[in-house]
Amino acid sequence: MRSPIRVTAIAILALVLGAPGLLPENAAAADKLRVVATTTDLKALTEAVGGDLVDVDSLARGNQNPHDLEVRPSLMVKVRRADLLVVNGLELDLWAEVVVQGANNPKVLPGAPGRVDASEGLLVLEVPTAKVDRSMGDVHPVGNPHYTMDPGMAAQITANILNGLVRLQPQSRPAFEKNRAAFLAAVEQAMGRWAATLAPFKGAKVVQYHPVFVYLFTRFGLVKGGAIEDRPGIPATPGHLSRLIQEMKQERIKLVVVEPWNDVKLAERVAGEAGAKVRVLAPSVGAVKEATSYLDTVDYNVRALADGLR
Amino acid sequence: MRSLVGIGLLSAGVLMSAPAAAQDVEALRQELQQMRKQFEAMREGYEKAIDRLGERIQQLETRPQPAAATPAPPGLAPAPAVAQTAPADPPAIAATPLDLARPRQPFALYGNRGPGQLLFDMGVAGDFIGNLTQRNVDKANAGTFAGRENRFFPREIELALFGQIDPYARAEVRVEAGEEDQGEIALRLAEANLTLLSLPFNTQLKMGQMRNRFGLLNSIHEHDRNFIDAPNVLRWFLGEEGLVERGAELTWVAPLPFFLEALVGVFNGDNEDAFGRGKLSEPLVTGRLRTFFELGDAGAIQLGASVASGETTERHRNTLLGFDAKYKFTPVGWQHPLITLLGEMIYQIRRVNVLGEDTNGDGVPDTPDQTRVRNRWGWYAGGEVQPFQTGWLSRFGAGFRYDWTQYPVMRGREWAVGPFVSFSPSEFLRFRLGYKHTERATRDGFGDNESSARKVDEILFQATFILGAHPAHPF
Repeated sequence: MRSPIRVTAIAILALVLGAPGLLPENAAAADKLRVVATTTDLKALTEAVGGDLVDVDSLARGNQNPHDLEVRPSLMVKVRRADLLVVNGLELDLWAEVVVQGANNPKVLPGAPGRVDASEGLLVLEVPTAKVDRSMGDVHPVGNPHYTMDPGMAAQITANILNGLVRLQPQSRPAFEKNRAAFLAAVEQAMGRWAATLAPFKGAKVVQYHPVFVYLFTRFGLVKGGAIEDRPGIPATPGHLSRLIQEMKQERIKLVVVEPWNDVKLAERVAGEAGAKVRVLAPSVGAVKEATSYLDTVDYNVRALADGLR
Repeated sequence: MRSLVGIGLLSAGVLMSAPAAAQDVEALRQELQQMRKQFEAMREGYEKAIDRLGERIQQLETRPQPAAATPAPPGLAPAPAVAQTAPADPPAIAATPLDLARPRQPFALYGNRGPGQLLFDMGVAGDFIGNLTQRNVDKANAGTFAGRENRFFPREIELALFGQIDPYARAEVRVEAGEEDQGEIALRLAEANLTLLSLPFNTQLKMGQMRNRFGLLNSIHEHDRNFIDAPNVLRWFLGEEGLVERGAELTWVAPLPFFLEALVGVFNGDNEDAFGRGKLSEPLVTGRLRTFFELGDAGAIQLGASVASGETTERHRNTLLGFDAKYKFTPVGWQHPLITLLGEMIYQIRRVNVLGEDTNGDGVPDTPDQTRVRNRWGWYAGGEVQPFQTGWLSRFGAGFRYDWTQYPVMRGREWAVGPFVSFSPSEFLRFRLGYKHTERATRDGFGDNESSARKVDEILFQATFILGAHPAHPF
């Protein structure tokens, strides 16, 4: 009779060696580039460039705050199989490095051809000009990393993604470029509509829960008007809220925007006391049910802003 | 006359429109002010971006292998401003093994960083413990923190340096200082290792001094654990410091649709509590299998099995088997788990020397010295609840742990129960307050200074801070 240890070892070996052939997606996805993006925005933008030639998955779900995602081994399984990893950069998704370290996939290590930092070449806002420390909260020392919801950044982000895809599959460059051009044309077309929608509110101040929408505001001429968080990542104190409400009243701020994972009730209470409205914006694709694609997400945010400022 | 009428009408018009014009002027002034502010911000931003690009160009020009990407200029001009042109980069190269083997300059990994910045991360974690217990426990040095009863002390002040060495390897170095006995601060090398990341067949090799990946908590530093103190079973079977060894670990992630990681390790065997032979000729060999399953959108469970087998200081074989499980329930939209449950079990098969016994009291052993096998085991289970989703209340948590363990060599066993509450003003600062009740089956082995302790009640306090960089923690 064989020992249980030997039987178990043989079973595990058979499972491991035979499993790749059993994977249902394996045959279909064999000739596609397997791309993993850290966020749903980057997933959507990668799909826009890659089209049918790529199979894209994201690590964070749309309804998860990408600041401090829990590093689950299931994320390592995704990265383990990836040809290309697209990261947001600017220290938003530093947790992805821990995922990469646990995935044992040299193709997507920092500096490898299978790594794209989507923030390359972007003009980064809110880069600290003086010394920063944690007394200022969870500040990002290299600037505000929430750039993906600004549709004007789509050109550069997709250019970075295109470069990454072409590095791995140069023969598909014409197809990738065609997809990107078609996508940017759709963004260009929508941009006129979004600009017209928000044009009447140029210069209006908007209070945020966390500074997620600074790029979107800057793009369309809105002005950042304080935050419900005391400092980034630090819950509001009564004193801070009282000062914020006072400021909102003095400056006649009409709108508070909040991400779905933050305290919407608190935002409503602040807005109620300051005589303002609250709108839940989508900080990423899939964050709210209307945000089903990149264009839909920007569209939803623009409509919500206009509706709240009206 | 006509001209007089004209002048009169013009004057009237100007006078009548004066209040409206004043309002317009005020509004225009405000808009101008805002535009000036925005322009200044944009100008500063562009200057920095230009500087960065200049530096990057310099770097790229000095590189032997130019990068593929040539980004289009950023479009921060007022909408619409979507650049349609494809990036004019040189033909990209497909990923081949040669790509991985080609030397690259380390600074290329940090293109976004400015001059004068370090090429690695650095952080300090501080962990302070306070405990209050009975006088007899203090006298007998029989508390959870033996020799430091009724004291407030730094358990672990850790300086961590970590980052990429080059494209193929990363390293971490951790130096710790902590109180080991009353007032005595010991400085020690906690970890210093490098990991080769680009090995074939999806393997990684970690070598140096490290906390072994045996079980759930051993590889985690004290300040990052779910509990104030180390579970009793770990303290008894692995020692107060845990299993920290010098050698190498090879990991492999299986090409399966679910996570399965296998690990084998070879070490000196320097842990005096469990192994201690300290020779590679008689090495401590470790192994671990770890798997993970998502249970819907909210739940997830990790299961692991570990083995460590080496020789003790007495040159006898000691084999430890470990089994562990961890479950987290994080409702959709929550930024922290609502419920965390975890537990570990260790089973020991250890050969020990047993001295001959004097059965008739004549001072001469009546049975010969011999070796015997000690099959001993212990376990713990615990958890934490953070019941509030957002706001200040979300910073509070409450948890518990139950311990039961036999002693590895001497006779007897003990159990303990410990509830605690925690409060984290931010993710870099945490306080915990807990109570722990321990009952031992025997006083033997817990007597010192003519005192002993079978039942121990302790109030435990923990304050933990993090300065600077700290890597995200695995599940």
